[in-house]
Amino acid sequence: MKWVGYATIAYFIAMQAYMLFLAVVSAAALRRNHHLRRFGRVGEMLSSKTSPPVSIIIAAYNEEAGIVDAVRSMSIVRYPRFEIVVINDGSRDNTLAALIEAFDLEKVRIPYRPELESAPIRAIFRGRSGVDITVIDKENGGRADALNAGINVARHSYVFCTDADVVLDPDCLVHSMQRVVEDRERTVGVGGNVRPLNGSRVELGHIIEAGVPRRLIPRMQILEYLRNFLASRPAWSWMNSVPIVSGAFGIWKKSVVVEVGGLTAGHMGEDMDLTMRIHRHMLVRGIPYRIVYEPAAVIWTEVPDTVRVLRRQRIRWHRGLMRVVSDFRDMTFNPRYRQMGTVAWPGFVLFEYLAPIVEFIGWFVVPTAWLLGAIDTTALVWLLLIALGMGLLNSLIALLLDESFGYFNSPTDTSRLIAVAAIENFGLRQLTVLWRIRALLGGKGTRRWGNMERRGVTNLAADSR
Amino acid sequence: MPSDSLLQVAVLVIFTVNALLLMALVILKVIHRRRMHDHDARRKSYLGLLSRCLSFPNNTEPITEAIAEDPAFLDALIDMRNAISGDEVSTLHRIVNRHGVIERQRRHLDSSWLLGRRLRAAVALAELGDELSADTLMAHLDDREPEIRIQCARGLGRIRWTPAIDEIVSRFKEEIPWVRVRFSDTLLGFGTKATWPLLAYVKINHRFDHRGPALALRTIAQVQDDQAVGPLLELLDERLHLEVELATIETLGELGSPEALPPLEQRLRASRWEIRAKAASSLGGLGDPSAIPHLVEAMRDESWWVRRSAAGAIARLPDGVAALYQSLDDEDPYAADAAAEALIDVGELVSARRRADQGGSRHEPLLAHMRGKGNS
Repeated sequence: MKWVGYATIAYFIAMQAYMLFLAVVSAAALRRNHHLRRFGRVGEMLSSKTSPPVSIIIAAYNEEAGIVDAVRSMSIVRYPRFEIVVINDGSRDNTLAALIEAFDLEKVRIPYRPELESAPIRAIFRGRSGVDITVIDKENGGRADALNAGINVARHSYVFCTDADVVLDPDCLVHSMQRVVEDRERTVGVGGNVRPLNGSRVELGHIIEAGVPRRLIPRMQILEYLRNFLASRPAWSWMNSVPIVSGAFGIWKKSVVVEVGGLTAGHMGEDMDLTMRIHRHMLVRGIPYRIVYEPAAVIWTEVPDTVRVLRRQRIRWHRGLMRVVSDFRDMTFNPRYRQMGTVAWPGFVLFEYLAPIVEFIGWFVVPTAWLLGAIDTTALVWLLLIALGMGLLNSLIALLLDESFGYFNSPTDTSRLIAVAAIENFGLRQLTVLWRIRALLGGKGTRRWGNMERRGVTNLAADSR
Repeated sequence: MPSDSLLQVAVLVIFTVNALLLMALVILKVIHRRRMHDHDARRKSYLGLLSRCLSFPNNTEPITEAIAEDPAFLDALIDMRNAISGDEVSTLHRIVNRHGVIERQRRHLDSSWLLGRRLRAAVALAELGDELSADTLMAHLDDREPEIRIQCARGLGRIRWTPAIDEIVSRFKEEIPWVRVRFSDTLLGFGTKATWPLLAYVKINHRFDHRGPALALRTIAQVQDDQAVGPLLELLDERLHLEVELATIETLGELGSPEALPPLEQRLRASRWEIRAKAASSLGGLGDPSAIPHLVEAMRDESWWVRRSAAGAIARLPDGVAALYQSLDDEDPYAADAAAEALIDVGELVSARRRADQGGSRHEPLLAHMRGKGNS
């Protein structure tokens, strides 16, 4: 029992040290990014004829409520050249009809070269309304399958894979593609900063004012996203070891995605799987490359606002993570994969994948040790306070890092976020651990996509304020 | 287990750090909000002051040293500079010089160790600098910070500092791609003065590097200087890296000189499909319908890219659309498909359907072709 106690404490210290290391490196990277953002390059990218064109690929399944708003918001992003490709993945609602009506689509015959496998295509439509939009109507095959079909028809060499339930910041493409132009030879992927949309004011597909919702579940996720996207990803990017480019915002060099065989259909963590396969592909072949994260490229997405939906999402995510960890276990502590194999990926496996297991074991070991007298009551209280304090510390660091972006400035928003940083340690965090354990144990889970009840971004944002 | 005292110390440290972070967060939120608000308010009032100074040269409102040192005043100057033209620009420069704004920014750029301050100074010099700033800007073309190098080149371009052309072009070879691309944008500002330095750079370096010369060639294409055609045709006769050869062909297409017609037609028969495709699309840029028969032949190429590029090029040429309609009956079904795709791209399918609805249309062959594919 004593040794289990020591091991748990050692793990806890190592995890906190790792997270602090990531936060410190991220802070340095974000500071530099803040200065560069302030003294702007956006205008230069917009007027440059060398800005590479991009295909925005949107996978849609039963998105009737929000698809038109989403495409409209995407059609007015500030970027010199881009096309929009929407894949209607066998929706059972009127997603396709809504698109046809809004963008005056007509059926066309354009060559479909299936470089990546996907479920059968029913028809391809092109817009006549001035928006450069192509819509693919296909049999249902899941998100990854839909994106593969979209990549097949994409005309440009960079593909921006995203979802239909997002609102793009108008400058997100400029900021992210600027990272491509920085080093076009080596850059194969760029991830963006995904932020929860719930609680913000949205009008005509634009974020008018970022806000924090009243409801605890989405509020907790705002903090969680800040920790993930601001306190760790910039550090991974600095090490060229980003283990996941989020599915909601991922720009990829099309040729590389095709080389690795596209996204894995049916995979519940297809975004992470693709990122890791590209890392392995490039490292094994010794091809110089980089996958970077750009915090200034912001996209807003709807997050679950009920425990039921959140539970389903987290179980699905953790299943995806389990499969990725299993598929790429050979990379763990493998110097052949350089800093990815020796620092970033082992850290991810140890402190993201295994953390819920260790925490879950701790729930039993610590009370048992206390009951058996191995820990006295005072020490137990101190240990719990340390755990609480470190949780709070990580959240406060993330909130401080977010300060340079200038969102959430009202006193109400600030106090709501600080409050949730303290509250989440009493119940919500334990719930997510339980869901992850549930995912580890297997059983019935959410295997298909599109289970979240969509209300359309404008309605959702208005409701949650 | 660790001793109680150790745990107590750990708890004390963690919660003290938490309290400090919390305080920092609240203070930053308050300061940030107030600073943003104050900065915007001052900037607006300085804009008003500057517009009065520009409109009424005898305006006696004082611009104190405190105002001249205020970053909001610098922002207002930049805003104003981008909004005015003609005589007002020289009046604004007089204000800038009278209050030592440029001198102060030169000092910041040279000696400050704060990245934010140096970047602000570089942007200010790029926007407001004059010939007196040229030496500082030239010196910082080798700055350790890429963004500052970009801003300095931009500033030199804005004041049309001709000696900077060679300096900027000579850095193409060593620069990181992002900076090189921005340098290329700057060179465009110099217009045809940049052509010869760029051509010389390509001539000297294409054997050792392909990225820099390819970008230099594309810059020449944007400059649109006909004088480059002769040297480019000579360059095509040399043994070139694929990227450089593609960029040369593309540039010849962009320049649109009839002299380029024979060598480009010859390259429609090159062994590499990339060259054939690039030559086809460049022929479209020359505007000479005599290329159409060669391009029709290229629509029967084994490579989809070549067929597609050739069809697209034909669509851009005079009488090209008619030629594409004829190709719908081509014996080679791939050539007919390429012609149909190009016609759709130029909007012919839409107009074909509209005309068909009104009864009768010259576009009937395209509709028939599409019906044949089951997609009418």
